[in-house]
Amino acid sequence: MSAMLLDHLTLAIRRLKTRKVRVLLTVLGIAIGIAAVLGTVSLGEGIRMQAVETIRASSDLTLIEATPGNLDGTSYLITPSSVEHIRSVPYVTASSAILKDSYASQHQTYLPVIGADDEEISKVLDLRVETGRMYTSGSAEAVLGADLGEYLRRYEGMQIGSPFPVMVREYDDEGRPRDREIAITPVGILSPRDDRYDSALILDRELVAAEKSGQQGFDAVLIRTGDHLEVAEVAGDLRELGFSAGGAFEQIEAVNRFMDVVILIFAIFAGVSLVVGGLMIANTMMISVYEQTREIGISMALGAAEGDVMRMVLLECLLLGIMGGVAGIAASLAFSSVLNVVGRPLLLSRLGGEFSGLFGDSLSVITPPMLIAGLGIAIVLSLLSGIYPAYRAARLDPIEAMRS
Amino acid sequence: MTTLLSLEGVMRVYQNGVKALDGVSVNMERGELVSILGKSGSGKSTLLHILGGLDRPDGGMVSFEGRELNFRNRDEIIMHRRKRVGFIFQQFNLLPSMTAIENVEYPLIFRGVPRSDRHSRARVLLEQVGLSGRIEHYPKELSGGEQQRVAIARALVSDPLIVLADEPTGNLDSATSAGIVSLMREINRERGVSFFIATHDRDLAARADRICTIADGRMVA
Ligand SMILES: Nc1ncnc2c1ncn2[C@@H]1O[C@H](COP(=O)(O)OP(=O)(O)OP(=O)(O)O)[C@@H](O)[C@H]1O
Ligand SMILES: [Mg+2]
Repeated sequence: MSAMLLDHLTLAIRRLKTRKVRVLLTVLGIAIGIAAVLGTVSLGEGIRMQAVETIRASSDLTLIEATPGNLDGTSYLITPSSVEHIRSVPYVTASSAILKDSYASQHQTYLPVIGADDEEISKVLDLRVETGRMYTSGSAEAVLGADLGEYLRRYEGMQIGSPFPVMVREYDDEGRPRDREIAITPVGILSPRDDRYDSALILDRELVAAEKSGQQGFDAVLIRTGDHLEVAEVAGDLRELGFSAGGAFEQIEAVNRFMDVVILIFAIFAGVSLVVGGLMIANTMMISVYEQTREIGISMALGAAEGDVMRMVLLECLLLGIMGGVAGIAASLAFSSVLNVVGRPLLLSRLGGEFSGLFGDSLSVITPPMLIAGLGIAIVLSLLSGIYPAYRAARLDPIEAMRS
Repeated sequence: MTTLLSLEGVMRVYQNGVKALDGVSVNMERGELVSILGKSGSGKSTLLHILGGLDRPDGGMVSFEGRELNFRNRDEIIMHRRKRVGFIFQQFNLLPSMTAIENVEYPLIFRGVPRSDRHSRARVLLEQVGLSGRIEHYPKELSGGEQQRVAIARALVSDPLIVLADEPTGNLDSATSAGIVSLMREINRERGVSFFIATHDRDLAARADRICTIADGRMVA
């Protein structure tokens, strides 16, 4: 069977050799189409990688915040058992169930409160204490984010190690706010980290829970994953469990969604050149069927069935497609390296030095799957374009064909 | 002797109304070499095309080895072309892009014969038609007579029951023609393959076992 296919392939190659120029032109046509599509997609991928890189450099991508969510109309609370469940999700390296609340200082400074186990939150957020120490569990001690600590020390006379009164806001039966004062002891101030925890007041969870009566479950679970590639997977698992998953990685998801659309639109425009390539194949094959009418008639008289004739034409198309696809891949690789070697410095010189971080090392990114897809598209395209010529060839009347 | 083929009242009317065959009845025995003699336009080619499954009759019956050929069944017709018949044409009809031996091998590709088998069979046949020295030559490098010898080898390569030859010497001078006819006679004797040879050359026809004469789509004698 495969030996036969080899025979037919050899014959097809010989037939193509008899019209080298036209084959070359057709192959070029397909190659340009493939290169155009691969080129635009690779440029889009390059931009996508750049955007993702930029986000990654400036944010904490491996942190996920799981909050109570909805799945199929059911609301899910975060209970101690769901925290256990979350811990067992693959790639989760640390987690901390937290309670959120907001207190105010006596000067009415807003204090976003996070109640957590001291060890868990230190691990998940990789907390570093700059002055003082971490709070101990079961106490009324607190640590403050860098910004908040600085502010309270400077403007409200807060001192590390001395009790500091804060107001818990409650509402009475008529709905009027009623503040209740409690005393906490700030024992440490964290190093700056450029995120929202810089302005947080972090306390022992039991303390926050006691002040926040009547709440079931936790407000959120902070989750740390191994690396940024695993984040999306963990987030997906969490959503499947019925939780909402949020974090900086969402920006990447948004970029990806956006770039998917942009690349698709690019590719559709470039795809027009593929259609032209396909029409070229169809045209070449129509002419070649016409030119080989006599040979086809003779072959039929010698025992070729309609299927054999179709296969002859389609094999030629397949060869054209493979050659065009390979040439297109080569062209797109060349295009991409020209873009990276010549285009990138050019663009950077136009944009100025402050953009040098942009387009890290490549402007255009070609991946092996893209190359395989390019070849696949070329082959599918050529076979599709060959269907009609092949059909026409197979329907030739052998006697008429031999007479031509 | 067993009957190889029989035609009964075979009609072929072209769309323009021309009755190319108007009730032809012929019988042929296995191993016979029959010539069919007729003027130009008498219907010889049409008859051979029907026998070879390249055309279909509009009436009458064609049987091979006692079984009627169903022209409506494409698979049956393909098998008929592959298994029973070999063609020789006036224009030789070799494929120009292939060497002599490749031309002879070509029909076997559609029959799924492996390459080495094809090659050895083609070589033996080319030797038999006296072309062992021209195996790798392309058709354009061969004389008319040599081309027709290649075509004869090609017609025989699939071991057909019958070779249908449509004016095989029409494009050849008389000496070469005589050589081709002798070759066909020799192969007929040695291999027992039947030949059905259309011609308008009386001398050539006379060397057959039997002559059928056709005129205006009817058998005359
Ligand atoms: N495709 C066709 N359409 C219409 N008429 C046809 C067709 N083919 C052949 N004919 C007619 O049928 C008749 C028989 O033709 P055929 O080719 O069988 O003759 P022939 O005996 O082989 O002639 P020659 O010796 O010139 O080859 C002729 O009158 C011819 O004009
Ligand atoms: Mg004729």
